[in-house]
Amino acid sequence: MATLLEVKDLRTEFHTQDGVVHAVNGVSFAVDEGETLGLVGESGCGKSVSVLSVMRLIPIPPGKIAGGQVLFQGRDLLAVDDEEIRSVRGNKIAMVFQDPMTSLNPVLTIGTQISEALELHLGMTKEQARKRSVELLKMVGIPEAENRLDDYPHQFSGGMRQRVMIAMALSCSPQLLIADEPTTALDVTIQAQIVDIVKRLKRELGMAVIWITHDLGVIAGLADRINVMYAGFVIESASNKEIFANPVHPYTLGLLGSIPRLDEAHKAKLTPIEGLPPDLIEMPKGCPFYDRCRFRAERCASENPPLELAGVRHWVACWNWQDVQKKRGPVGVR
Amino acid sequence: MAAFVIRRLVWLPILLFFVSVITFALGLYGPGDPVQVMLGMHANPETIERLRHEYGFDQPFYIQYLNYVANALQGNFGYSLVKYRDQPVGVLIAEKLPATIQLNLVAILLGCAIGVPLGLVAGLKRDTWLDLVVRGIVVAGISFPIIFLNPVLTFIFSRRHEFTLAATNFTFSIGPFLPMVQGHWDGLFSPKIILPAFIESLGVIAVLTRQMRAGMIEVLSEDYIRTARAKGLRERVVVVRHAMRNALIPIATILGLMLGGLVAGSFLVENWFDVPGVGQLAFDALISRDYYVIMALTLLIAVAYILANLFVDVLYGFLDPRIRQS
Repeated sequence: MATLLEVKDLRTEFHTQDGVVHAVNGVSFAVDEGETLGLVGESGCGKSVSVLSVMRLIPIPPGKIAGGQVLFQGRDLLAVDDEEIRSVRGNKIAMVFQDPMTSLNPVLTIGTQISEALELHLGMTKEQARKRSVELLKMVGIPEAENRLDDYPHQFSGGMRQRVMIAMALSCSPQLLIADEPTTALDVTIQAQIVDIVKRLKRELGMAVIWITHDLGVIAGLADRINVMYAGFVIESASNKEIFANPVHPYTLGLLGSIPRLDEAHKAKLTPIEGLPPDLIEMPKGCPFYDRCRFRAERCASENPPLELAGVRHWVACWNWQDVQKKRGPVGVR
Repeated sequence: MAAFVIRRLVWLPILLFFVSVITFALGLYGPGDPVQVMLGMHANPETIERLRHEYGFDQPFYIQYLNYVANALQGNFGYSLVKYRDQPVGVLIAEKLPATIQLNLVAILLGCAIGVPLGLVAGLKRDTWLDLVVRGIVVAGISFPIIFLNPVLTFIFSRRHEFTLAATNFTFSIGPFLPMVQGHWDGLFSPKIILPAFIESLGVIAVLTRQMRAGMIEVLSEDYIRTARAKGLRERVVVVRHAMRNALIPIATILGLMLGGLVAGSFLVENWFDVPGVGQLAFDALISRDYYVIMALTLLIAVAYILANLFVDVLYGFLDPRIRQS
């Protein structure tokens, strides 16, 4: 399948009073048409900043996209002018954010907020946009959609608001939907509903999805490929199956060890990853995971490993991945 | 909503009771005596005593207070004792009120027209030189006392200034830019209102600019602004439709409260510019211990502020859909 989005060596930093925060340090990834890519990692690992950089939604200053390319359908989004990036935002690439409670404007009706993009990008009239808004709300499963257009965000529950956000994002039939932890602020049953909605709509509309999460469990049934990020680096990238069956980066192993499994003994303990991620202002010279790594060697302290091939379309940034593969013990096949 | 308004109105008499008792007591027990002021320093003590008795000032506090309340409830707020001797207070205030309301109205409008855009620009261009300049203007505006601004701005704007170019010996003059009020007050649509209204509006400008700037900065960092940008909206639409509406809600609150101040005249501005308003009346009444005038004005201002507060609470419900519901 054709490549839709290709991010090459993206570097984003924030210039703060305490120094330069290196949030994204040379991240590269690609999304094919219709593909779902999962970006996984703990808070502050650069997942959100990466995709916000793609959309050029990083607040500048203090943010700064220091380098790299974002090729979307062959155009470098980092090089185009404001007018052009606006014509992509909400139209070709749309985004759903983490907290539906704060992501909708409290003083505008849902109808207004959905119609906006339709009128702007598709040149619809007010009535056409209203009609389409009803369809969109129905599509994401909001009951009595006709009567809810003139309601304000506070009249919806969290899960319903996230549905509205999704309806808004899908309004112009984007080729790429970026979902930035869309289920994190919701309770578990609602999470499952939202995941199902996105899965269904993805199938129906054939768009590509980048799904950001810190929860490998959420992404397991959703993604075609998974990129694991740590301290602003992609440290492992493989197909969904491969990540769960054959993880070769110690951090990915750690993440897998920290999610509960249904097929394990009742009393089986979860293993947390000890320690904290490195200070992004004073980045270590070697591997960023060095301090927390069970498999570390001398070389890891001084040299940061590049991504290398560890299998079929399976990349890993670890000097000792072969060692990890041997010593890790059973991971279990799903 | 109706129940809410009624509940608030029930509080009105209770608040008025406390305000009136305190004002009455301050007038009665404070230093100075209207009869003394009326008759002068060398008056005969017997005459003073007789007049005090005539006015009922020798009666105990609660009798005087109850008499006052009984009369006030019948619409009689007493008579001026000193400067406007024997004129009913109600008539006096009704006479003076229009000038004050006109002046304050123009001051508030001027304050909005200047303060809101200044705050908007400062908030949008945060930490640039523009922001710095605006903040400087605001600080200057509230720091210069009116008693200083009155003569200085009058000198600058309503006087003729003559300059002589030393080299050519050519003299030219500019001004006056604005007419002074002094002499007679022409009301709302006369350019004479601009200078006093501008001086009165400085406080309004400062408050609104600060609020608007802080509001914009806060709102612009909200998640829904990022959502609006992610839709591909132009920055102008993001600011006007998504940010400004939210930032203007607290501004409306402040303006509503300022409506209460419409009936309160400024001593300094009204006296300097000779605006025949409530501020002048209050000033005269205070220095001559004109009890009933002071009482009536205090109550009037109290009622105005209480009603303005109520109005703001109702208004807020219309502006903010979240409050409208609850």
